[in-house]
This record gives sequence, C-alpha cells and structure tokens, in this order.
Amino acid sequence: MNYDFNDKEFNLFVEIHTRISEFANGKDLESYDTKNSEKNTRLALALLSETPYLKLGIEKIEDYNGLLTLMGAMEVIAGISPSLFLSVETSTRIFGRILSTWGSDFQKEKLLPALLGGKIIGAVGLSEDAMNVDNDPLKTTATADGDQVKISGRKQYVINAPLADWIAVAGQMDGKNAVFLVEKGSPGLTIGEKTATLGYEGVAICSISLANCVIASNQVIFPKNDKAMLNTLKLWENQILIGASLGLMKKAFESAKNYSKKHKTGGKPIIAYQEVGFKLSQMLTLFQTSQLFAYRAAWTADADPKEVESLTLCAKVFCTESAEQVAGDAMKILGGAGFLSGNPVEEAYRYAKYGQIAGTSTEISRVKIGDAALGMNK
Amino acid sequence: MDFAFTKEQLMFKKEIIRFAKKEIVPRIQEHELKKQFDFDSFRKLGEFGILGLHFPEEYGGSGADVITTVMAGEALGEAGVDGGLTLAYGAHTFLCADTIFSHGTEEQRKKYIPKLASGEWIGCMGLTEPNAGSDVASMSTTAEKKGGKYILNGSKIFITNGPIADVAVVYAKTDPTQKHTGISAFIVEKGTPGFASGPNLIKMGVCTSQTSELFFNNCEIPSENLLGKEGEGFNMSLQTVEWDRSALLAPFVGASTYMLNRCVDYAKSREQFGRKIGQFQAIKQKIANIRIFGEAARNLVYRIAWCKNQGRPMNHLEAAVAKLFVGDWSLGPANDAVVLFGGYGYCHEYDMERIFRDSRLAPIGGGTSDIQKMIISKLM
Repeated sequence: MNYDFNDKEFNLFVEIHTRISEFANGKDLESYDTKNSEKNTRLALALLSETPYLKLGIEKIEDYNGLLTLMGAMEVIAGISPSLFLSVETSTRIFGRILSTWGSDFQKEKLLPALLGGKIIGAVGLSEDAMNVDNDPLKTTATADGDQVKISGRKQYVINAPLADWIAVAGQMDGKNAVFLVEKGSPGLTIGEKTATLGYEGVAICSISLANCVIASNQVIFPKNDKAMLNTLKLWENQILIGASLGLMKKAFESAKNYSKKHKTGGKPIIAYQEVGFKLSQMLTLFQTSQLFAYRAAWTADADPKEVESLTLCAKVFCTESAEQVAGDAMKILGGAGFLSGNPVEEAYRYAKYGQIAGTSTEISRVKIGDAALGMNK
Repeated sequence: MDFAFTKEQLMFKKEIIRFAKKEIVPRIQEHELKKQFDFDSFRKLGEFGILGLHFPEEYGGSGADVITTVMAGEALGEAGVDGGLTLAYGAHTFLCADTIFSHGTEEQRKKYIPKLASGEWIGCMGLTEPNAGSDVASMSTTAEKKGGKYILNGSKIFITNGPIADVAVVYAKTDPTQKHTGISAFIVEKGTPGFASGPNLIKMGVCTSQTSELFFNNCEIPSENLLGKEGEGFNMSLQTVEWDRSALLAPFVGASTYMLNRCVDYAKSREQFGRKIGQFQAIKQKIANIRIFGEAARNLVYRIAWCKNQGRPMNHLEAAVAKLFVGDWSLGPANDAVVLFGGYGYCHEYDMERIFRDSRLAPIGGGTSDIQKMIISKLM
C-alpha cells in the first residue's frame, strides 16, 4: 500500500502544469471557433509530445505507473483548460488506444508515431442515435469490395471530427464489431457543422456521415474480443471524463476558496463565516474523495483488470456528480460574480453536466454497477 | 501509489469474517433487542486477538501493523457484527488501552495492557462532559493534587463502556486556570471510592454498547495513576484521533459491504410482478449507491491508516475529510438498504433497520460533522 505519487510522477505533474499554463496564458482555449480549436490542439499536442504525457497508458514508461500516473496528470491539464483536455485526450487516449490495443502492426507503424509525436489529431465516432444499455449492434456497417471496404452510417457527437486527420469509426462488418480508420477527405465522408453545446465550447463536436465511404481493407480493425469492444471504448471514455471532473473540481474549488479569502463582508473575509467555510469543507471533502476514487480506479486497470469496469463506473458516477455539486457550491460562494459568463466557476458549472451524460451515463452506470453486484452482467 | 493489501492481510480478513459470522453474528439480535452488552462475544474478540491486535506480543498483543488493525474493524462490519460491539471494541482498544500504552509508564503498561488485550478487563475513556462536548477545553472536572494523591471531582457523559468498564482513562483539569494545557489524563479503576457510573443511556442505535455518565465525587487516586505529565492530556486525546478516523470508521465501511451483500441476496431471491426484484432498475440503482459509498469511504479510511503506519504526523485535514465523508454520506446508502427491503427493511429481523440506526452515530460520535467542517475550514 502507498498513497503517494513518486517523485518522478510529481515532477511530471509540475512540468505539465508549467508548460500548459504558459501555453494557455493569453489564449482563449474555450472559444467557440473551430479554427482556434484546431490551432490550439495541434500546438498543445506538439508541446505535450516533448513530455512523457502522450505515451502514458499507451506505452510502458519506466518509473511511471501507466493509467495511475496519467490520472494525476489529467487532473492538471483539465484544471487549466477542460476543452483542450478533452480534445487532446480523445485523440491520444481513445483513438490512440484503439490503435495500440487492437491495431495491426501496419496500422500501428503508420499512425502511432505521428500520433504520439503530436503531429496528427485523431477522433472517434462511436455514438449512434439508437445506442442503448444492451449494446445492440451498431447500425454503421461495412462491406468488403475487393481490397477495399465501403462503410455506411451516421455518427453523432464526434469530438474532434472537424479537426481530425483520422477518424476511428466503430461499426459492424461480417456480423462482428469492428473499427474503421477513415482518413480526412476519404470519399463518402461528410463532416457536419460544429454543434453548439452547453459547455466545452472549445471542443469541436459534430456529427459525421458515411455514404459508401471507401477505405483500404488494411484500415479495418477487428478487436480480439469483439463483444467487449463497445464496453472497452466506453471504459476509456469514462476514464477521461473522470479526469475532466477532477480538473473541474480543482478549478471551481480553488476559485471559490481564493474568492472567499479576498471578498470581505461585515469587516471580515467571507471564509470566516460558517455558511461559507462549511460549504468549502464539503467541497474539499468531495474533491479529495473523488481524487482517491479516481486514482484507485486507474490503479485497478493494471493491478486488478477484472474489477476495472465496475470500479471505474463507480468512480465515474461519484466524480462526475461531485463535480456538479462542487461547481454549484462554488457559484453560490461567488454569488453574482460566479454567475457572470466567462469566469471559471460558471464555466465549471456548465461543463460538469457533460461528464454525467457522456461515456456511460450515470444512470446506466448505476444499472451496470447493480448488474455486476447481482451477477447479471451481459 | 499502490492500493493493494498483502496476501496475509487479505487472508486474515477472511479469517476474521469466518470467525465473526460463526461466533458473534448469531448472538446479535437477542442482545440488540434487550439492549444488552454481549460479554461473551467481547471476550471472544479478545481470545481471537482482535482487542490487542496492534500491541506488542510482550503485552499480550499480536504486533500487527496499523493497516491490518484497521482491516480487522472493516472485517467485523463486513461479517455483520453490530455497531454496538464494534464501538465497544473501538472505545476499549483505541481510546482507553492505546492511550495507556502510548503514554503510560512501563508499570502502567504491564499492569493494564495484557488484561485489556485479552478482554479480561474492559476499558473506557472519559472526555466529554454535560457542558463540554466539542469544546473540550471548557471541561470542569478537576483533579487536585494533595500529597501523593489526586482528588477528582466532576462528571463525564456519553461514555461508551461506562457501565461495564473495569478501567477508565479520564481527562480532568489539573490547572483550571488554563484551557487545553490545564488538562491531564488519569487511569481510574472500577471500585475506587468516589467513582461511580450511571445507568445505561438508551440510545437510537449501537444499542448493545453500554453508554453512561461517570461521576467523580472526591475520588482519590494514587498519583502514579497520572498518565504522562500534567498538562499533556489534551495532546493525548488528540493522538487517539488517528485511530478514531481509521479503526473506528472502518466498521462503517465494512457494514456497507455487509448491506451490499444482503441487498444483493435479497434482490436475487425476492420476486414481485413475476420477476426477481434485482431485475428492476430502481433496485440496481440502490445497490450501486451502496457500493459507491463503500468504495469511496474505504480509500479515505486506509489513507489515514497508511499514513499512521508510515509514522507520519497526523494530517488533521485528511482525518477530518475522512470523518466528514463517512459520517455524512453513510446515511444515504443505509436508507437505500432499508427501502430495498421494503417492509422487511423496517423490521428488526432483517438487520437493515439496525444498520440504519447504527449509521446515525457516524456523523455524531468522535466529533460531529460540523466540527469536522470547522477543522477543515480553519486549515484551508
């Protein structure tokens, strides 16, 4: 047992914090502008490629503990810019792990060095309008045509789609789950308009459609355990959303704490009043409990893989719901100042809801946690 | 970071659960209904080695590390041992015996620890007073030194094991002009003239534990019963906080696992509307809530245990966070468990109502949730 990060991990967190803070300085990383998102994501990926960050959870690096180290580092980036974080992570940790976990040698050689070198952006098309808790087969399908395949279907809420060089599209081929690696500009691929959202405005999200979209057959991935493919993709997404929640909580809590020390009423800082001090105490309790939960779920991924799915769902529910609670309480502490658009607390409050909806929703998560406890896993 | 328990720790946990399910759990309902302390079960805890787990073998203990010791509390809760017995164990071992062990002289250790570790003697700790709860420094019990003796006057309240204790660690002012620095700790034995305990206070939960007032009326104790030096009492009481935030919280974590297991068994066997109720999403949601609480709380409790095991000075903020979380967040899952069992959940036979009542102590005992928030907000 050990509840500390090691020195190397700690130094990495400091390095990433310094680099991304400097990068973020003077930029609006949350602006609703696809060109801005693309520029910032490419610059940040290049910057992060100079650190071990992009490789965490994908390649084994000495002295770092894979996903566990990653979770600590994710909190740092998400705490500076949640939008940048979501773009970087979708590209690196979902698109990247599809390649590193299931890709062929050819596919890995072709794309992984560029991805981990921060030279290309990846996106993942998973969600369809009829997806459900039972993981019914995806409607996006492909058929073989010589040494090519033709894909048809529609994907919604595809993060990074407008900026991606490559999109990994989940679907069905020959009755099995498969992932299709579709390059930008492939015939039959249409990228939709950027969607307006409640939060994460700096992330380019849109739908994509594939109408007999043609790719080479060596760009198809058949995961080894194809039945678990959807759950695995959701697991990776959930891990990112946990990291995002930690970042949001950190931002909201720190803002509220600093404000309550500076803002005075009745001749004393408002933190001195129990209504404020006690609220901050509850927020910190939720934040610290979330951190430990997130770290243990990440640790379990390597140490106890049998438990990782349900424990990650537990952590996902707790961390994402805590994020909304903490952000909401932070806004109350800031009062009118918290309600103004463009401040970190208002931003965290709007963004927090996304964590509960995306990935495995907290409702479906609870059903699945119940199923796991009841031995009713499908 | 590494959240793994050792194989030995996990094996020991299983052994405790097996022992408790066989020897203790079948006796709980009878004692709970009568609000009686189960002396036999307590002595069995002693025989099994749980009461003195972390004391060195030369004092009748097993020399266990802090994590294993905390795990024993979790194991008892997980086996279904009631909060009354685990509270009695906590007050006895950590608030009384450990204070004597940590601050006592060699003579004091030799005299008391083996008997407390075996369960031959039962210990309690007297700190809270009718008019001095969270505000410890305002206590009015005094200990006046006269010749080779101290004379104690005053009273204590809400003392776990008070009516049944053979030995008490009692905090009193040796210098009433001072606040915290005027407090000293004493060992007081049952039968000392001028020392009496009141009748068992009837409580909402943890009903098998016996709780009472302690009265000191010109109670003369020999000066060698002073623990440490005069004025060190408050710090001694603070040092028990680490155990309070780990070993005494661990049974609540274990109880959540017990609730989870019971709810799962019930949901798999109970049928309504032609199917097992476990197939309804609303039942799964409740089961999930119980598991989520248990997993979250476990990390916090073992963080305190691990830090103590490393010999680090206590992190008061992390300790308060653990206490606040287990206290305030344990009520929801306990409520979910009662609701899941429906009418049976409201009846004594099915345990859930007992755990629901027992869990209400978590945000009160050992420093209320509001006091934890005071600590956290001051340290921020």
